[in-house]
Amino acid sequence: MPFVRQFPAIARFVFPRLVQAGLTMVVAASLVFIAMRVIPGNPLLSRFGQHVDAQEMAKLREKYGWNRPIHVQLRDFLGQLVSGNLGESVARPGQKVSDELLRCIPATIELTLVALLISLPLGIAAGVVAAVFRNRLPDRLCTFGALVGVSIPIFFLGIWLRAAIPWLPVARRLPEYAFLTFEPLTGIYLLDTLLRFRFDLFPVVIQHLLLPAAVLSTIPTAIIARITRSSMLEVLSSDFIRTARAKGSGLLRIVLRHALPAAAVPITNIAALQVGLLLSGAVLTETVFDWPGLGLYIKTAVVDDRDYAPAQAAAIVIAGVFVSLNLILDFVYLWLDPRIRTAK
Amino acid sequence: MRTAYCHDDTMLRITLCPLTFLTVSLLAAALCGCGGSSARTDTLIYAQSEDPKTLDPINTDIAEAVHVITNVFDTLVTYHDETSQIVPSLAEKWETSDDGLNWTFHLRQGVKFHDGTPMNAAAVKVSFDRMLADQHPLVYDTARPYQSAFSMIRAIETPTELTVVFRLKHPSAVFLSNLAMFCGSVVSPTALEKLGQEFADKPVGTGPFRVSKWTRDQQLVLTRFDDHWRGPAKLKNIIFVPVRESATRLQRLQRGEIDLADNLSPSELSVLAKDPAMTVQEVDGMNVCYLSMQTEKKPLDNVKVRRAIWLAINKRELIQVGYTGHAQPAKTMVPPTMWGYHEQMEDRPLDLAEAKRLMIEASQEAGFSLPVRLSLAIPNQARTYMPRPIEMADYLKDALAEIEIDVSVVGRDVNQHFQALMAGQHELALAGWNSDNADPDNFLYSLLDPDNISDAGNNLSRWRHDRFHELLLNGQKEMNRDNRLALYLEAQEIVLAEAPVVPLVHTKIRTGHQSRLKGFHLHTTGLVRLRQAHFEESH
Repeated sequence: MPFVRQFPAIARFVFPRLVQAGLTMVVAASLVFIAMRVIPGNPLLSRFGQHVDAQEMAKLREKYGWNRPIHVQLRDFLGQLVSGNLGESVARPGQKVSDELLRCIPATIELTLVALLISLPLGIAAGVVAAVFRNRLPDRLCTFGALVGVSIPIFFLGIWLRAAIPWLPVARRLPEYAFLTFEPLTGIYLLDTLLRFRFDLFPVVIQHLLLPAAVLSTIPTAIIARITRSSMLEVLSSDFIRTARAKGSGLLRIVLRHALPAAAVPITNIAALQVGLLLSGAVLTETVFDWPGLGLYIKTAVVDDRDYAPAQAAAIVIAGVFVSLNLILDFVYLWLDPRIRTAK
Repeated sequence: MRTAYCHDDTMLRITLCPLTFLTVSLLAAALCGCGGSSARTDTLIYAQSEDPKTLDPINTDIAEAVHVITNVFDTLVTYHDETSQIVPSLAEKWETSDDGLNWTFHLRQGVKFHDGTPMNAAAVKVSFDRMLADQHPLVYDTARPYQSAFSMIRAIETPTELTVVFRLKHPSAVFLSNLAMFCGSVVSPTALEKLGQEFADKPVGTGPFRVSKWTRDQQLVLTRFDDHWRGPAKLKNIIFVPVRESATRLQRLQRGEIDLADNLSPSELSVLAKDPAMTVQEVDGMNVCYLSMQTEKKPLDNVKVRRAIWLAINKRELIQVGYTGHAQPAKTMVPPTMWGYHEQMEDRPLDLAEAKRLMIEASQEAGFSLPVRLSLAIPNQARTYMPRPIEMADYLKDALAEIEIDVSVVGRDVNQHFQALMAGQHELALAGWNSDNADPDNFLYSLLDPDNISDAGNNLSRWRHDRFHELLLNGQKEMNRDNRLALYLEAQEIVLAEAPVVPLVHTKIRTGHQSRLKGFHLHTTGLVRLRQAHFEESH
């Protein structure tokens, strides 16, 4: 078993990365913990509004332990985390943050997947075209498009698209009345509508996805296009492509069969990082389209309610996404590059 | 050794497969047309600007929760459909003892909670004990914003199955009005015991609708309660939806995705008013928007400065800027729709020359130099009584510059804004108040009495006036309406003279809905009653 023989090397590779990942999560959680307590306001205010009862508020402060020194609170919080408890919302008494996250994360995953379905093929196609027609009109168009895609403000684009396309729904994942007869199963509605045999709702789910996914995909599309272009340019000028040309292969065959697979590694890398950004960075898109996912959850927790536990938990989820993506990428390299495995 | 070359066909397929899927889906979606439906006749979709945090009537203060609670619960007494007059509800009739200390309520027979248990005196007692008791086994959350509304209650007795006696610590003129507030809702003790903390999510009352399903931050579904004592409601379902951006509420309303929307801005309502498929309802509200002047801070401790500020503000112009005309100028804190409003009192008129003269006099007396710098605190978010705080602040800055006051505007998120104001951290501040119980005491005592100066009190100007305080305390104990009126009129004259605040405007409550929605009328207290709401049959 070669793998067993290589185990010490692999352990040397894996162990520090796992420790690093764990530390990153703890630091991220602690930073958000402190930040939430430093910014003005607290989640109790949103519950009392203009009818504040000072005594009750003092009692609640006591109950939540906010009177104690911040390092004691932080220690308790980290202890809680280790035991897998994400805490409860203060603004919405009795609501477990873990339940709330389970409800909103599938919405974000679905939106991310559809945005990737748009941005991957589109970005790669644009990048390839730009590389093949280097410095000619298609290249200029693609490069310009990528620049616009990266720099256009999401808010502006979202609001403009909503106004410009009047026949598509502008908010949420399904019309609210649909839930009178439809019970989601996994939270991924594209799947749920099929699993529940609600084929009438399936196209409605897509309609609701189109605008937010299109808006969300602009930045990753542009980034993927740029990376594809540059790595394709590098590959296209290499010897084996020249050989393939000399053998008389057609342009399409050269690009699709030879060049693109060779350029795929950096594209995969950047695409994986986009997944992380999409999962965590959909705050603006979700706000504009009232998409009940992680982004909107964060926005509500931080901006509207100043709710400690939800904001902290969301930060942990995001840190977790990035840390695990990086770990997965590291393992992919380990698999791809034998030198890491055999290093003494 | 495998190379990437071996994968190319697979990769191609992986890339092309989603493309095909996407194209097919796009086509399918485009063919199916829009998701909005105007065919619904039994389900009302109501967009609010946020999701309720809890539906337990004792634990909330926000309007979005109150709108739901009002339709799920009943109170002992309630407001008349069109006015703020108190009429029977769960209590058929009531008497007061001569000393005003004992109130006996006779409950309606045969009223059932949504869980089938009977509504009786014991349930009423539990409902109010929960609000008042320090420790109560059925209280799952001690944040009770309206506890003080019932602090006059000493004991509650239940001599018979359908009789409740409230014994008060002192006579209270506002007791009956407070019973009509949503926080006096009667809850099912059986459900409280059974559900525990979950009662806040699935509350059980006697109201025309019951909560059938609440997916937080997504939709809250109410379903008709067929055994309601006033007969079943007309709609089968009401779905409350949180839609945070007002532009989104407007767009969804126009596309038929929702039927009724709260908190639209004045300009959005003007857009709706032009659309024949939409109706904009408007009613004079029971609210006030005012300028608080922190009287503990120099130079605002000087009454001449405060009067000068009052004289320098053109309320009509402010109404154009901040309300696109949909408000009326205020001369007192009490809204004109409420009894106790001082009709005869003349507002201090706009008079810049007099204002400047007062400022110069004050500066010489108190030894400060002109121009004087003052900060103006405003909330970053719109309130019902203040739809455009930034525009209002800009206007006030210009107006006060005329009398040599250099205003710097400080914006905070709304909850922090009020916290800072209660702590007295401001100099000038825009604030406002919505009626809780349709009683003038709720405006004058809550907002101006020295009892309410604290880090949690609403006397934001921190104004102390002995005579005013005496009048208000007498008003709370006086049971004769005419005698009370005399006290409140004098109190309002003191406010005009001493100018601890500048009452700015009373706003109209406005809401937009599909024209085919009938049977829904805005109530002057802001109550949202949906029992009679229904959709017109489509032709």
